[in-house]
Amino acid sequence: MLSAALAIASKDLRLLLSRGTGLVQALLLGLLLIFVFSLSQRVGEVMGPQGAAAIFWLASAFCQVLIFNTLFAIEEANGARFGLLLAPVPVQAVWLGKGIAGFTLLLCAQAVFLPAAIVFLGQTVSPLWHVGLATVLLADVGIVALGALLGALSQGQAARESLLSIVLFPLLVPVLLAGIRVGAAAFADDIPEGVESWLGLVAAFDALFLGAGIVLFPFVYGGEE
Amino acid sequence: MQTNRLSPVMPLVGIVAGLALALCQYMIFVYAPVEQTMGIVQKIFYFHMPLAWWSLISFLTVFVASIAFLRTRNWKWDALSGAAAEVGVLFSGLALITGSIWGRHSWGVWWTWDPRLTTTLVMWFVYAGYLVLRTLDLPRERLGTVSAVVGIVAFLDVPLVFLSARLWRSIHPAVFASKGGGLEAEMKTTVIACIVAFGFLWVALTWLRAAQRRMAARIDVLATETTI
Repeated sequence: MLSAALAIASKDLRLLLSRGTGLVQALLLGLLLIFVFSLSQRVGEVMGPQGAAAIFWLASAFCQVLIFNTLFAIEEANGARFGLLLAPVPVQAVWLGKGIAGFTLLLCAQAVFLPAAIVFLGQTVSPLWHVGLATVLLADVGIVALGALLGALSQGQAARESLLSIVLFPLLVPVLLAGIRVGAAAFADDIPEGVESWLGLVAAFDALFLGAGIVLFPFVYGGEE
Repeated sequence: MQTNRLSPVMPLVGIVAGLALALCQYMIFVYAPVEQTMGIVQKIFYFHMPLAWWSLISFLTVFVASIAFLRTRNWKWDALSGAAAEVGVLFSGLALITGSIWGRHSWGVWWTWDPRLTTTLVMWFVYAGYLVLRTLDLPRERLGTVSAVVGIVAFLDVPLVFLSARLWRSIHPAVFASKGGGLEAEMKTTVIACIVAFGFLWVALTWLRAAQRRMAARIDVLATETTI
């Protein structure tokens, strides 16, 4: 299943990146969000680390919705979805493949958002930066597991991005809270409650939605128009 | 062949709910004493807590009915999950409003990062989105499946939302957990009576909406057959 998933992921990435516009829309939206939020400060003022981390994760969450809409839209033309469904691999390989592709694209986008947040929102990097980075990786796993499951809702183009975001965002609350708290610590080295409990929470989120994805994806990804 | 008649027990549950709620009003405003520090505002609690509890039961019902639908493909489970989500969103919305009024009076703020309040708010958002999803113009089979999947995923998230909000901050009073400083006997009796009364209301509303949903689906099928 893993090789099939990797094949699907590499196909998606090649298709999206070769077009040149693959990640551009998501990147621009995220950057615009960061820039617009930077206007909430007066000139010369510096945003608090928690505010900056919240904006970073907000940009990531919006970006992720666009990424999964694009990833699942690839197969909508010419009935290509039936090709994937007819392939002699478990249908979960599609979920895993889309998840891997989404994870890669989200990380690329965050590699741009992070410096943008530091520059536009006037942040510094604290000695806890490596914990912040680990949290980004761990949180992204859960985010894409859920995104790849619910992204399939847009199959047939009946459900648009707006619907995916209102269903997805509240579900992401635990992982976003963890990302924001640890992110704030990575900017300012201040987290009285400790990072372990937050990391445990994100790991639980990952495990739960990786399991839910494997069990539930075959139900949402089917041959219906 | 599905029966199209409503169960005769259903109106009965509604009547019992009405009578029980009337009795609760008496218990809340006459039987239970006025709380010393909070005064009359404390009476909100008798509405707030049953609403919050039964909204959680609603969401649990959506979860169980969604699993049952995916396993059996019986449309009665789909109707039940839709009905329970509607009642859950209504009840949790009211619980949020009453909780907010309570918070303003006792903590001086309309909103606070309390785990239970936050969990209720996030659940309200999730299930409001779920209800929007259910109105999509999709084939019935696909809509039922997609709704069931979201219904399951949404409930899996509840414990994590609660834990994350608790890590964030907590000042909610633990009513039944506290020893000694808890409620007076009359207050406790009133709360339990309210929980039971709202339970009857919950059953009556959910049952009625589920029956209406089944009938609407049946009318759709009949209309399609007639057109053909």
